Order: sequence, then structure tokens, then C-alpha cells
Amino acid sequence: MKININRDTLLKPLSAVNGIVERRHTLPILSNLLLEGSNGQVSLTATDLEMQISMSVPNETGDSFATTVSAKKLLDICRSLPDSSEIKLADQDSRLQISAGRSKFNLQTLPSADYPTMTRTPNTQLTLRMPQNAFRQLLRQVEFAMAQQDIRYYLNGLLLEINAEKLHIVGTDGHRLSYISCDLGQSFEKQEVILPRKTVTELIKLMDDSEEEVLIEISSNQANFTFNNIRLISKVIDGKFPDYNRVIPTGHQNKFEINRVMVLQAMQRASILSNEKYRGIRMVLGANSLRLISSNSEQEEAEEELEINYTGDPLDVGFNVTYLIDVLNNIQNEKVEFAFADANSSCLVTVPDNQNYRYVVMPMRI
Amino acid sequence: MEPLPANHSPRRIAHLDMDMFFAGVELLRYPELRGLPMVVGGRSIDAPRVLPDGTRSFAKLRNYVGRGVVTTSTYEARALGVFSAMGVMKAAKLALDAVLLPADFNAYRHYSLLFKQAVSIIAPEIEDRGIDEIYIDLTQHAEETHALAARIKQAVFEATGLRCSIAVAPNKLLAKIGSDLDKPDGLTILAPEDIPARIWPLKASKVNGIGPKAAQRLASLGIETIGQLAQADPKVLLEHFGRSYAEWLIDAANGRDNRPVVTRSEPKSVSRETTFERDLHVRQDRQLLTDALTRLCDRVADDLKRKGYEGKTIGIKLRFQDFSTVTRDITLPYVTQRPDDILQASRECLKRVRMVQRLRLLGIRVGGLAPFGVGLEQREAFQQAELPF
Repeated sequence: MKININRDTLLKPLSAVNGIVERRHTLPILSNLLLEGSNGQVSLTATDLEMQISMSVPNETGDSFATTVSAKKLLDICRSLPDSSEIKLADQDSRLQISAGRSKFNLQTLPSADYPTMTRTPNTQLTLRMPQNAFRQLLRQVEFAMAQQDIRYYLNGLLLEINAEKLHIVGTDGHRLSYISCDLGQSFEKQEVILPRKTVTELIKLMDDSEEEVLIEISSNQANFTFNNIRLISKVIDGKFPDYNRVIPTGHQNKFEINRVMVLQAMQRASILSNEKYRGIRMVLGANSLRLISSNSEQEEAEEELEINYTGDPLDVGFNVTYLIDVLNNIQNEKVEFAFADANSSCLVTVPDNQNYRYVVMPMRI
Repeated sequence: MEPLPANHSPRRIAHLDMDMFFAGVELLRYPELRGLPMVVGGRSIDAPRVLPDGTRSFAKLRNYVGRGVVTTSTYEARALGVFSAMGVMKAAKLALDAVLLPADFNAYRHYSLLFKQAVSIIAPEIEDRGIDEIYIDLTQHAEETHALAARIKQAVFEATGLRCSIAVAPNKLLAKIGSDLDKPDGLTILAPEDIPARIWPLKASKVNGIGPKAAQRLASLGIETIGQLAQADPKVLLEHFGRSYAEWLIDAANGRDNRPVVTRSEPKSVSRETTFERDLHVRQDRQLLTDALTRLCDRVADDLKRKGYEGKTIGIKLRFQDFSTVTRDITLPYVTQRPDDILQASRECLKRVRMVQRLRLLGIRVGGLAPFGVGLEQREAFQQAELPF
């Protein structure tokens, strides 16, 4: 094999696939990426056995080839070469020679036949298309509530549920839950999968703000995403996601609307003196008033008072302030609504101009 | 553990070790076995049967088929080469006619409590080192050492009918070595000046803390005895064992040990393990493995409940067909003693092991223990409610 490729052309797919390469690899070849060339394009593939990202770029190649080489080293080399360098890659005697200008590198390779590529399952059960900026926006509004390394492994991901004409996306760590839905414009049979956390974060990273479509193909054990010359294959989490409908409240009577940025900033200030470990903050509601009160283990205290339009019951409810700051940071709307039943029940956060969004957070006894 | 100040008056630390404890307890029940080779380590089906004439019929090693290990053997069996931790089948080859008895831990625990109570009446500063051994701090005791040690031995015998060996030394390390010098029914007193004559000729592996691997590495450096270790070039030790272990080796060989007698110790972990009747295949024997795992988790949870602890680090131990052993653990964000939590966490750990061989042994361990309720109080202060799914 011999190819000539512009550094900037190669850097894009190289950075795109590098995100999932395992640093602590159990299988040495997993720290490599698969480099293939044929039919006027070069494609790069990386996998961690749970998911796989491939990206191809158009480039004249002499002949078809395939090899695997250390992802990190290839990326470091390309990154450190001057912009727009012309790079020559040549495969010889299980070595990959890289040259650019007066720089030469000689890298070890492993046979491409040993690379554990994931194959797409043939039985796609559902195919969706939507603008990638729209899909990315949906994910961004809920992904922060996913659990991290929870032993309830099915929480370490996002639920994608397609039912009739709606797509519902839900994330929860057991303390708070974020939910968003959107209309699909056509009816589908009910289908649900749990996308692993890493897949979600990679998708958000790789999709851009364009209207260009993302093709979503779902089967019972796999989810495939195709966009911008990128193909992402992901296993899905085999488990039963909890019934989110049971915890999204409908009858909370004590509610008020407030400017999102204003309450966010007040919470950020109050959080400075909240308990470092538990991050507790009290929301104290009285007639037309919201006070945010926090104190830490050194008995230092903070209080913020906000004027609101509120005629409900007086309430004093504790929360982990991080859970509230998270939601306020991840939605963009001007106003938010908080709704309560009493001090022991959940708080429902909604946005008046988007009926499809819900965030539920459980209180913390302080 | 706080090291003691350097200028303290010499301590008097005793190590008391029950002589062939499990076998001893069995002999109390079956006195007709006295003087015969006998091992404890069978299963309940090996329990003696009472014959119509009132005499008892005992299982013999020659008939044993299984994978148990010897937990204790009488001195008569030891004379034939049968020691604890040996596979029972292997022991059978050495002592065909030895009597085999099932282990009865309830009985051993009962006698363990009896002997510890008896000692505590005379000397209450006791560090519990397991079912059949304790350290006793006698420093504050007015009585002369030999008479005091003899009185403790007598008290143990009167309470249990069992003999023990005891050594009194300036520290735990020497006391532990000493109690083994004059077994059974021994009474040894060691002073620092006895070290060259009585300790240095011993094999290095007699030091509690020099295991088989370290002993082997020492031997490869030409160091066989504790005396040779004491004379060894510290630089060489440093090079082969790393700083902290090398320093400890030198201290140990010179009989230096400042560890206090810890009278009230909190358990560090609770564990249970089981060796399978035959090596199990991860897929073909899935149901058996699942059952074993569930049972182990239930038992560990019971142990935690009985002892009044909960823990946050859940670990598994697997031993494969070829005896290679792996462990994995996971730390939960909360403490628990619930069997479901332990089971769920063990499953997570299991996922992280490559199952390339059949399994011989499975174990579950819960560490990071806190007395039950302490975690609860912490949670009371800031209790995050869960979504009511």
C-alpha cells in the first residue's frame, strides 16, 4: 500500500474515531485502529468491542489495503505535523512508514484480519431519519441525568423509546430523571433500547449543528447511526429500564415560573456554601418569595431571595443543588417552571414553551 | 496502629495457641479415638454412626472421595505426614486407616468462647486472632511471668479440657514464634537475649509474615534461617523486596516488633467461599453457579447481620481448574448488608473476569465495613430520596 493524504484530511477521521480507543486495553489490538483504503476513499475504524466508529474520507489510493496501527501514536504524529502537510503512508513488512516533509516515522502494525470489527446485525427493526442537530439537541437535554457506573447497569445509558408517532428519550440515576419527546411524523411499532453512556457522549461529540440527516437503525441488540461519513455501531444495554411514567408527576399544585438564568445564578452562589459532600440546599417558598438557603459543615451560611409569583402552600424542601444546576444549565429556554406537592415528594421542572420536556428531582432531607 | 514510644519498659506479650484445636474438641466427644490418627475435614455424611450395640462407627480416610481439605489432624496423623490444608484425598494416601470426622464449627466456636473467657478472667487485655489463638498483653500484670503463664494454661484446661501452648515474649512477633517451639502443651518464655540461641536457628518461614513466596526468594539469596536474615546485607534485601518489606524483614529477624495488642478490633471484611464438588463450566453449569452465588451472598449477608456490620466493597474470588485465582471488587456508593445488593455487585464483578476455564471455587467478600447504623445516621443527616419507580 502507498497513499498520499493531506494531514488535515486525515486528522478529522483520526480524531473522530480516537475517542473510544481503550487506554487500558485487555486486547493489545484494541489500542490500534483499522486503516483501510479502497475505491477512492480511506476509512478509519476504532472499537472498544461495545461500540465502533468508522469514518471515511475521499482520497485517491493506489490499491486496496488494510492494516492496524496504534491509534494514539498515529494521532499524536498527525497532530504535531505542520498544518496542510502532505503525508505519505506506506505499509511494508508489518511496519507502517509515515513520512511528511523531512519527518519519518516507522510504526508497528498488527494484521487487519485480527481486528475485532463489530458486524451489523442484519435484522434492523426500525429506521428513523432526522436532522442531526435536532437529534443532538434532544440528547443534550437529557444526557446529564444518566447514571455513571451504577450497579443498576441499565441506568448507565439513555432509554430510546419509539411508540406510535413519538420518540421518548429518558435518562435517570435514580435520584433525578430527565425526559424529552418529539413527534416523528409517522407511526412506528413500539420499540425500546438503552443506549450505553459512552455511545451517547460520542454521538453528542460527533454530530454537528447542521440540518444534515442522521440515519438511526435500531435492532434488539444494536443501534446504528450514520451521519457525516461516520458510521457508529453500538451494542445496546440488555436490561429493563424502569417505568419512567410512574415517577413523572402530573398533579403538583404548588408551582411558580421563574427566569432560568436568574435562578441558576442564585443557585450557583448559594451552592458555594453548601455541604461539600452532600451539596444540600433548601428551597423555602412563601407568598411571592423563594429563598435559597445553604450551610456547610463549618456553619457558614448563604441565603438568596428571589421575587416570584407564588400563591401556593408555604414549603421548605431540600435538594442536592447539583441536580438543579444541571437541569438549568442544560436547557436553553428563558423561563422554567417548578412544581411541588409537598416537602417529601418530587419536584417537577418544566419549560413553559416546550411541553415535551420534563425533569423530575427527588428531595434531600437536610 | 500507633507505634509505641522507643523508651517504654519491656512488654510482656503472650501468644496462646490451642493444640490441634478442632481435633481436640472432637476427642472430647469421642474419647475412644484418643491415640489414633484422626483428621477433621469431612462432610456431614462422614459423621460417626451409632451402632446397635451402642459403639460408634467412624468414617475412614480410605473411603473418602471428594475435594475437602484437612482442617486439623491429631499428632498421630501428623506423624504420618498429614497436615492441615492438605486435600483429604491426598491425606488418605498417607493414612488409609485414619479416622475422618466432619468439621463442626458450632462446637469449635463454643469451645473458642470458653477458652477466651477463661483467659480474660486472669488477663483481660486480649487480642482475638481467630478461633484458636489469642495474644495477651501481660505487661500490667504483677505476677511473675512463668507462674502467670502456667496459671492461664491451667485455667484454659479447666474450662475446656483442652491443652494449649503459650509463649511470653517482649512482643507479638516473638511470642508467636515462641508458642510453636514447645508444642503441644508448651510454655516458653523468651527474652531479647534468647534471640540468637533460640530464634536465629529457625527457618525464616517461621516468622509470621514470611510466606512461602518470600521464603523462596530469601532461599534463592542463600537465606534459610532467621539468623542468616538478621546478618543479611540490608542493601540486597532492599533491592529484592522493596523498602518497606525489607525494613520489616530486618526488624523481624532481630526480634523487633512494636505492634500493640489490639484488644477491640473491628472486622475488616466478611467472606464466604465454596469449593465445588466438581469443576463447573460457566455456561453448562450456569444454574449451579447461579445457585451457589446466591447462596454465598445470602450467607455473607447473614454473617453481616449477625455481626452487626454493613460494607461497601463487594468482592468476588474465583479459583479455576488450574488453581489460578482471581479477585475483583467493586465499591458501592453506600454501605449495605442486603443480599440483593451483594448479589448485584458480585455479578458486576463477575462480568470483569474472562472465564477461560472451569471454576473450582467461588467466594464472596464484603469489606469496607462500618457498624450497622453508622451509615444510616450519615444518611439521616442528608438523605437523598430515591425516585419511586
